[in-house]
Amino acid sequence: MTFICVGLSHKEAPIAVREQLALPVEQLGQKMKQLRALPGVQEALLVSTCNRFEIFAFAESKAVGEDLLTELGSVAAPHALCRFDEEAARHLFRVAASLDSMVVGEAQILGQVKDAAAQAQDAGTLGPQIRRAIDAAVSAAKRVRTETAIARGAISVSTIAVRLAHKLLGNLEGRSVVLLGAGEMAQLAARELKSQGASELLVANRNMQRAEELAREVDGIAVSLAELPSLLERADVAICSTGAEHHLITRELMQKALKARRYRPIFLVDLTLPRNVEPAANELESVYVYDMDDLERVAAQNRDLRAAQVVKAEQIVEEELRAFLAHAHERRAVPVLARLRAHAESVAKAELEKTLSALQGLDERQQKSVRAMAAAIVNKLMHQPTARLRAEAGEGPLGDAAAALFGLEEPGPSPVPIPVPPPGDTVRPSGGDDVPVSSAPQPPPEPDPEPARAPGAVLPLKRKG
Amino acid sequence: MATILVHISLLAYAAGAAAFLTWLVRPSRRWVQAGRILLLAGLALHLAAFVIPGEPNFAAIGLGAEGWKGGQLFSLLAAATVAGYLLLDWRWDLPVAGAFVAPFTVAVMVPAHLVKSSARAVAPQITHSLALFVHVGAAALGTAALALAFGLALLYLASERQVKSKRPGRLFARLPSLDLIDKAGYRLAVWGFVFLSLAIATGSLVSREATGTTLPLAPKQGFAILAWALFATMIQARLVAGWRGRRVALLVITGFVLLAGAYVGLLTAPALHGTVAAGGLLP
Repeated sequence: MTFICVGLSHKEAPIAVREQLALPVEQLGQKMKQLRALPGVQEALLVSTCNRFEIFAFAESKAVGEDLLTELGSVAAPHALCRFDEEAARHLFRVAASLDSMVVGEAQILGQVKDAAAQAQDAGTLGPQIRRAIDAAVSAAKRVRTETAIARGAISVSTIAVRLAHKLLGNLEGRSVVLLGAGEMAQLAARELKSQGASELLVANRNMQRAEELAREVDGIAVSLAELPSLLERADVAICSTGAEHHLITRELMQKALKARRYRPIFLVDLTLPRNVEPAANELESVYVYDMDDLERVAAQNRDLRAAQVVKAEQIVEEELRAFLAHAHERRAVPVLARLRAHAESVAKAELEKTLSALQGLDERQQKSVRAMAAAIVNKLMHQPTARLRAEAGEGPLGDAAAALFGLEEPGPSPVPIPVPPPGDTVRPSGGDDVPVSSAPQPPPEPDPEPARAPGAVLPLKRKG
Repeated sequence: MATILVHISLLAYAAGAAAFLTWLVRPSRRWVQAGRILLLAGLALHLAAFVIPGEPNFAAIGLGAEGWKGGQLFSLLAAATVAGYLLLDWRWDLPVAGAFVAPFTVAVMVPAHLVKSSARAVAPQITHSLALFVHVGAAALGTAALALAFGLALLYLASERQVKSKRPGRLFARLPSLDLIDKAGYRLAVWGFVFLSLAIATGSLVSREATGTTLPLAPKQGFAILAWALFATMIQARLVAGWRGRRVALLVITGFVLLAGAYVGLLTAPALHGTVAAGGLLP
C-alpha cells in the first residue's frame, strides 16, 4: 500500500491552469467519491482551494498515481507533482502548517484541510490511514502556531489587498468599495477596507436575499449584480469572489465604465477561481487588476521577512512527521506480531486442551498451574521476536521471515511497478530533472522483484512474502 | 561672503541628497529627518546669500544692479526648488521626492557656482524695471514648481509601472500612493503654470521696454509658449475630461522638457540676438 499526493498548487501552476480545476464546494464530495472509485484507491481526500488542488490517496500501488494524474486533465497534469509515501505525508504536514501557503503562516488553510477531511468523511472516502495522517498534520500545525511567531507576522491575502488599495488610492476615506460574491477572503478584505475609512460598502450578489444577508454581516448596502456596469462607474475598489465560471468584469465592460469614471483609478481584486475579472482589463489606463497569483508576489516579500520563523516551523513539522512515521512503522509491525501471537496462543491452547483431557483427575488449582505454564512458555518464546519485530517496524526482513516461517502470510494484491523517481520521491510529469509519469511512454507492467520505495516511506509498498 | 554662504549651502544640499539616497537603501526615518534638516539649513544659507548687500543678487534685480552672473539664475532656481520641495514634504510627507529634488538641486547648483561665469549686462533701459524683477522671480518659482511636478511625474510612471507589472521592487514599500503623487504633481503643475504665465506676461513687458517688441521670435520665447500651451491643455483636459495619471504625467514631462528648451534658448540667446532680449538676463 502506498500514500499518494497528486496535484498542484500556486507554486507549480499559474492561475490560468488552477482555475480550470476549481470545483464548487458542493461538488467536492462527489469528486472524492469518483476518486475513491478508481481501481486501487482505498481512501481519498481532495484539498481544493484557490491556491491548490491536491488529491491525497491511500492506494494499492504507486501506479494509481497515474490514474489520479489523469483526473487532473491534460492541461493541469503537466504542472502537477506526484508525491509518494513520506514525501506525500511531509507535504500534507507542510500544507496544514501553512508552510506551503501563498502567505506563509496564514490561518485559513488549516480550516480548509479540516473541512476537506470532514467532506471526505461525509462522502465515505476517508479511511483510518488518511484520518491518522490528517490528525497528525493538524496537531503539527497547531504546534507550529503555538510555538512560533509565524502567524503573528503573517498577513493574509485580504490584508495584502488592502495594502495595495492604499498604495493605489492613498487615503481610503470617502472611497467606495464593491464586494461581488460571498467568498470569505473577499469579505475580510471588504471589512478591512470599511474599517479603514471607506465610506460605502456595496454588496452585490445574483441572489438579492443573499446580498442582503451579506450586507448585514459586513455592514454594507445590498445591491443587485445586475447593476454591475453602474457599480463599476462608482467603485474605487471592487473585490470579486463569485462562483461565476466566466469573467464578470471584462475589458470591454471596464473600458465603457472608464470614461464615465473620468479615468479615476479602480482597483479590481480577484480572489476566486475561475477568475471573475478578465486579465486584459489590467491593460487599461487607471485599471489595476490583481488576482491570487499577483497577490502571491507581494506576499513573497512578507515571507522573506519571516524566514527565521519559517525555519523553526519547518523543524517542528519535521519532528512531528518523524513521530508520525515512527508510529506508522510500529503499527505496520503489529499485524505480523498479532498473527504470530495468535498463532502461538492457538497452538498452546490446542496443546493445553489435549494435555488436560489426557491428564484426568487434575483439580482446579493444578489445571490453573498447567495453563499458567503454557502461557509463560508462549510469553517467553514470544518476547524476543516481539521486541525484534517492533524495533524493525516493518522495515527489515524479519516481518516477512516470521510470516514465512510460521505460515502467517495474508493474501493481498501484487505490487504493480511504476516508474519510481530518485530519492525525494516526487515526480513532476513534465520534463526537467524529474521522472515523467504521464507524458513519457510507460513500460508494460512486469512483476518487480524488489519494488522501489522511498527512503523511510510512510506506508510501504506491499512486499512479496 | 555670499559666495562662501552659497558654497556652504551647496555642501548642505549635497549632504541632504546623500541622506535621502541613503534612506532609499536603508529605510530609517532618521535619514529622512537628517535630509530635511540639511536641506532647510542649506536653503536658509542660500537665501541669505541672495540678500547680502553689495553683490549682484536677486534683490538687486530691477534696482539698478550693474551685473548679474548667469549662474545666479540657476542658483535662484535651485533655491526655489528646495523651498518648493520642503513645502511639499511638509504638506504630504514625500521623502522619496527628496531623493529626487536634493540631487537635482546639487546638479543645478554645481555648474551655477563652481563654474566661473561672466557677469551678464542688463540693458540700461530695464535696470530699474519692476517687470524684470517679477519676470525673473516668477520664472524661477514657476520652473521650480514644474521641476518638482516633472520629478513627481517620473516617480508616478515608475511607481505605476511597478503596480501594473505586479512585480514590486525593493523601493515599492517606500513609494507614496499613486493617488498622492498624481494629486501633488497636478497641483504643482498648476502653480507652475500660473507662475509661467506671469513670467511670460512680464517677460513680454521687459522685452517691449528693452527692444520695443512684445513677443520676439526666438527659441526661448518659442519653447516657453509651447510649454505654456501644453500645460494649459493638460489643465483643461483634467478639468473637463478628468484626465489624470499616466497621460497627465507624460504631458507634464513633455511640458518640462519644452521649458528646459526655453532655458537652452536663454543660454544660447547671445548667439542669436547679441544684445538684450526679452529675458532681460543676457551677457
